[in-house]
Amino acid sequence: MKKILLLLVFTSMTWAENPHEHMHHSHEGHLHEELVDGKKLEVDPERFDKFIVDLKDSQIAIVNIKGMVCDFCARGIEKTFKKDTNVKKIDVDLSKGKVLIAYNIAHKIVFDDIKERILINGQNAIDMQIINL
Amino acid sequence: MAFSDNIKNSIYYHYSPSYKYSVGLENIKDNYFKDDYSYVRFTYLLDRKNTEHSQRNLYFQSGISSKGFDEFFYGIHGDWETRRFFVGFGLKETKKKIQDYSEQYYQIGVAPYLGDYGDLHTWIMMKTKKNSLENKWSTYPVLKLFKGDVLMEFGYHKKTEWDVHLMYRF
Repeated sequence: MKKILLLLVFTSMTWAENPHEHMHHSHEGHLHEELVDGKKLEVDPERFDKFIVDLKDSQIAIVNIKGMVCDFCARGIEKTFKKDTNVKKIDVDLSKGKVLIAYNIAHKIVFDDIKERILINGQNAIDMQIINL
Repeated sequence: MAFSDNIKNSIYYHYSPSYKYSVGLENIKDNYFKDDYSYVRFTYLLDRKNTEHSQRNLYFQSGISSKGFDEFFYGIHGDWETRRFFVGFGLKETKKKIQDYSEQYYQIGVAPYLGDYGDLHTWIMMKTKKNSLENKWSTYPVLKLFKGDVLMEFGYHKKTEWDVHLMYRF
């Protein structure tokens, strides 16, 4: 009986830990609120999951932008990055002031280059996170 | 960009080699002086302030007429906008052989909903403008719509009639 009780306690502890782990790690290509290294993911997780759904062997630059207040003004950002053959996909999140850029995995992402392209369009890139898929 | 009001109908093509300035050509059908001419235009960004939720701009604008170097205009225009609110103004002096004149406008707006990227975006605005030729203020509602690379702005006043502004981003 004692053994059964101990087994039940151990099993329930293991079950309780698993959901917590899933909140902090990437799992089968779906990222949640925090990255594996503990850093906060600065983008809507649902939007991010939708963005990466058809992407493989890619790295995603999540760029935080100031002054991106209108759709019409942000069009230039999409046009500029789409001309880059290393860019697979781009998404603009006006509500959070973020741009998601999917690059080929082999491409070296340079923040200063991204900053310059955003500035030409009239906004300011403040910081960037890179996530490898 | 195409523009039409009680003073003029115009089509303006412009190119921005840098975010700081743009150059362009504006073809004008002048409704007040019954004349056709063009302006070679230059616009320069004097100041821009980007924050997390807003952008503020101040521009200098100028143009030289195809009628000669003694016919030209200059002015400033500016705006401040968030995703929800918009405030804008413009002041312009035009020098012509027949008669010089000045124009000014002030505009405020609110977005009734906040659309996502790619959605149809709508602004409901009020605009008030005055020129020294008619020397009276016209105040009227303006509806601004944009989706993708197309922007349309419609204003209507019973005396000055339609203000229409169409823009396409290439």
